[in-house]
Amino acid sequence: MNMIKQCNSSKLEPLIRVENLSFDYDNLKNPLISDISFSIDHGETVLLMGGSGSGKSTISLCLNGLYPDAVEGFSSGEIYFKGKQTTEFNKGELNQQIGVVFQDPESQFCMITVEDELAFTLENLKTPREEIGLRITKVLEEVGLSDYRNHKIHELSGGQKQKVALASALIQQPSLLILDEPTANLDPVSSIEFITLIRRLKEQHHIAVLIIEHQADDWLALINRVLVLGKNGDIIANGTSEQVFNDQRERLIQEGIFIPKVFMKAKKYITKSCEEISSSTKPCLTVKDLTFKRKGDVILNKVNLSLYEGEFVAITGENGAGKSTLLQLMSGILKPSQGKIEFLGQSFTKWKEQQLRKQMGFVFQNPEHQFITDTVFDEVAFGMTLNNYGEELTSQRTNDLLKHFQLSELKWRNPFSLSGGQKRRLSVATMLDETPDLLLFDEPTFGQDAQTTEELMFFIKHLQEQGTTIVFVTHDMDLVDTYCERVFVLNNQKIKFEGSPSELWEQTQTLKEARLRLPYRIRHQKKAGEPYDFVY
Amino acid sequence: MISSINPSVKAGAILIPGVLLGLMFDIFTPLIYLIFIIIVTFAFSHISIKKWLLIFSPFVLLALGFAWMRMLYTSEAFDSGPVLIQFWHIEITKGAMEVAASLALRSLCFVALSLLFVLTTDSTKFMLSLMQQCKLSPKLTYGVLAGYRFLPTFKHELDVLRQAHRIRGVGRAKGIRGRIQQFRRYSIPLLANAIRKAERVAIAMESKGFTGERERTHYHEMKVTKRDWYFFGTLVGTFFLVVFLSYSLGFLNIFGKDIN
Amino acid sequence: MTNQWKLKEIVLMSVLGVVFAVIYLMFFFFGQGLRNFLMPFGLGEFGYEIIFGIWFIVSIIAAYIIRKPGVAFTSELIAGVVQVLLGSPAGPMLILTAAIQGAGAEFAFAITKWRDYRLRVLIAAGVFAAVFSFAWHLYSSGNIALATWLIIATFAVRIVSGALLAGVLGKWISDQLAKTGVLRGYALGKEQQEQREHDQAV
Ligand SMILES: Nc1ncnc2c1ncn2[C@@H]1O[C@H](COP(=O)(O)OP(=O)(O)OP(=O)(O)O)[C@@H](O)[C@H]1O
Ligand SMILES: Nc1ncnc2c1ncn2[C@@H]1O[C@H](COP(=O)(O)OP(=O)(O)OP(=O)(O)O)[C@@H](O)[C@H]1O
Ligand SMILES: [Mg+2]
Ligand SMILES: [Mg+2]
Repeated sequence: MNMIKQCNSSKLEPLIRVENLSFDYDNLKNPLISDISFSIDHGETVLLMGGSGSGKSTISLCLNGLYPDAVEGFSSGEIYFKGKQTTEFNKGELNQQIGVVFQDPESQFCMITVEDELAFTLENLKTPREEIGLRITKVLEEVGLSDYRNHKIHELSGGQKQKVALASALIQQPSLLILDEPTANLDPVSSIEFITLIRRLKEQHHIAVLIIEHQADDWLALINRVLVLGKNGDIIANGTSEQVFNDQRERLIQEGIFIPKVFMKAKKYITKSCEEISSSTKPCLTVKDLTFKRKGDVILNKVNLSLYEGEFVAITGENGAGKSTLLQLMSGILKPSQGKIEFLGQSFTKWKEQQLRKQMGFVFQNPEHQFITDTVFDEVAFGMTLNNYGEELTSQRTNDLLKHFQLSELKWRNPFSLSGGQKRRLSVATMLDETPDLLLFDEPTFGQDAQTTEELMFFIKHLQEQGTTIVFVTHDMDLVDTYCERVFVLNNQKIKFEGSPSELWEQTQTLKEARLRLPYRIRHQKKAGEPYDFVY
Repeated sequence: MISSINPSVKAGAILIPGVLLGLMFDIFTPLIYLIFIIIVTFAFSHISIKKWLLIFSPFVLLALGFAWMRMLYTSEAFDSGPVLIQFWHIEITKGAMEVAASLALRSLCFVALSLLFVLTTDSTKFMLSLMQQCKLSPKLTYGVLAGYRFLPTFKHELDVLRQAHRIRGVGRAKGIRGRIQQFRRYSIPLLANAIRKAERVAIAMESKGFTGERERTHYHEMKVTKRDWYFFGTLVGTFFLVVFLSYSLGFLNIFGKDIN
Repeated sequence: MTNQWKLKEIVLMSVLGVVFAVIYLMFFFFGQGLRNFLMPFGLGEFGYEIIFGIWFIVSIIAAYIIRKPGVAFTSELIAGVVQVLLGSPAGPMLILTAAIQGAGAEFAFAITKWRDYRLRVLIAAGVFAAVFSFAWHLYSSGNIALATWLIIATFAVRIVSGALLAGVLGKWISDQLAKTGVLRGYALGKEQQEQREHDQAV
């Protein structure tokens, strides 16, 4: 019934129509989003791309009428939902038709347990009590969380939180679903599963979906249309993926947007920057029989690994495998339950804190955890002031870094008010103020566009050439394939694989168990057909 | 079982005696009532004695210290009767002793009552009941719950912040200025972070169609049944019973005036 | 009343409630220490009085940031409720105490018709909170039974504590927070924004 109404109304009017929308957080002199117009049809799937910080998340919040009301912001222009201007809807009425999965999975829940969270949404819709239980059961089945109905949300893994967020968006049976970088922190298989889930849901319910993603590759099969938001806040491309990625490739590359690899000239991704294993055999950091328990349950069990000077290593594995934990242990901010760690031939216990931090850098998975000052500038300058470089040098180095990471305009902003990707870049920049012996990065590239990723990798490669050992925790197999000399696969509490990437790609079984997938380069060579088969 | 009593009613049943106890200055009344509460606690709830004692016992010490203070500096109104203890310049009269003991017992009553509540009440249900029975506005109810959600992450946040400072090479603070510096460096980001999250959660809630209007359906319907009133009756009734008892036995003392 | 408040303002109060509920708890033990330290000098009674102001700070911070009627009272109340949710052994009685302290702080802002948020008013709020809470404790924890000189002394100490730890410290923390820019969505943040723009203009 509801569906039919949508269908015939769709002939007259798109689901959502944006006309000359401008928005900015401070003033409309040169707005963040300037005078954009586009529309989304009923049941259509649209991919919204754009450089990091271009305003994608902001748009998504303008669409359901939360901005500029919810934050301090200014906007002009109209947004029509099913032909009715969004400002004419009663409070809440519009939100019930638009489901949003926000970029930050941590802070989009208001209840303790999964069940209560979903019930909350339905209560807002004034759903009769009897019905609520049933709909919760149904939606939990759809997203595959039936066993977690009574779990506490804050005790779920990143991927599961992501799914709860999706469930509470779906349960209001919206006619538009907005997904803001939904797979950013998921392991390769989970993100494929997430995409397949969305696809299945689209087949079942007739919902329009607006997806915000930097790496479109896996979504291509799903999307009808691509919208690209330019650096200066206007829409620079709007059409089918073929039109956009073929005809306007150059422009998009300038804007620093990831071109899906199928649209790239073959050699561009097949080139592998480093095949040779670094010759150095001088150990930088060695982990011996390391065991780590959290509240009794074993996270890591008798892990052994050693890093050599100047090599580029990746640690990968499924969500919740213990990668971040391992990295924190390697940086000495967590104490192992058993086993020992040596850094430059000296056990951590012997190191002086001050000296240790000078010689080793660490970047948290959650960028916000890195920040301890009030402005972007101070964050970057902090280390240098601490190791008292002069005023002169400090400000000069800082400004370079900010420029390289495209944060110069945001110099005096508060780190917390940055966009997802900007936060990520800043947190990395804070660790690049000098050349330490070891740099540990926890998923440094997520939420980045092509250009910023390139800048970042360029910087890190540069440091490596100067002899710094680099460790990445990452879910991005293409990154591993392109940059890393060795890779460790973490799976149920142990290191399941250790060797060069090209060796790993042979280990079908290991990949399967650790929920990893082949990089595009290999998949392409194997010429697999179905998107899901892409995984193995 | 007490855990199934409607939270609002439970709170009421605990507040009324709690407040009225403030009038009693004799030993008998709070003592008997304390015993009664303890009996109720273990007869009608699954609270393990060990856990209860673990929380309760520190407060016994606290109460003793409390009593001691009271004993040393009792106002004339109560400082009556023969001197019981006397050492160098201090002398403690019977009156002082009684008041002290009474106040100590009173504070223990508060604790026992409170434990009876907090150990048997689910926080979410408590808020929902405040909304459904006491007509607390949904906006406040869910606003509070949303904030309350941060608690588990809060300790984690603190640890992470400490880690972040180590990573960034900030050493232990020395001296007063250092301490203040450190206090600022910890508390402000912690609060700032909390506030940002608060804003985001509020946005998320509104995006789920939450408007704060009163008419909404309730998945967990909080009912008030006969049993709840029985419980209420028992706790409050017994209090007055005890008061009456101590009155008829001539113990009752309200604001230092012996009633009999 | 709650209709004039944005949801984010309420969540903010609640979050402040949570944060300070934890701090309150820490200060509870700190107070114990202080008390045990002072006990030998026969000054144990002052152990808590010295730091009592901390228990009013939420009112001041919330009111100073949000600047709407009822905020001082409600935020303290919420802090109380949150502490109960945390399972504070003070239990429901604490909600009552919180309400009374909050009422005290609110009273000060009410006198200025919720227009004036200069330091003096914040201090006044701290003082009134102290007065109200002191009156309540005279009754609830039987302080009435104390020697008169001691009552007066403790009263004085609590007022000073309220003025400094709630009023002054509260303002300092809020201003520091505003500096970080996280308050741009709230009254205090906007005021400072305008301040900055005004300064730039001049
Ligand atoms: N609450 C806020 N206050 C002030 N400025 C903000 C706020 N949120 C975002 N911004 C700024 O607005 C710009 C766009 O932010 P937005 O989050 O929409 O970018 P984005 O396209 O989602 O980037 P990303 O891909 O990194 O998530 C950024 O420059 C960011 O710094
Ligand atoms: N602060 C914490 N308290 C309790 N358990 C935790 C905490 N942090 C992580 N865990 C648990 O420890 C295990 C390992 O977590 P960790 O973050 O190291 O996984 P991960 O490999 O980094 O996952 P992801 O890829 O999602 O980041 C998980 O089961 C997680 O639930
Ligand atoms: Mg974003
Ligand atoms: Mg991790």
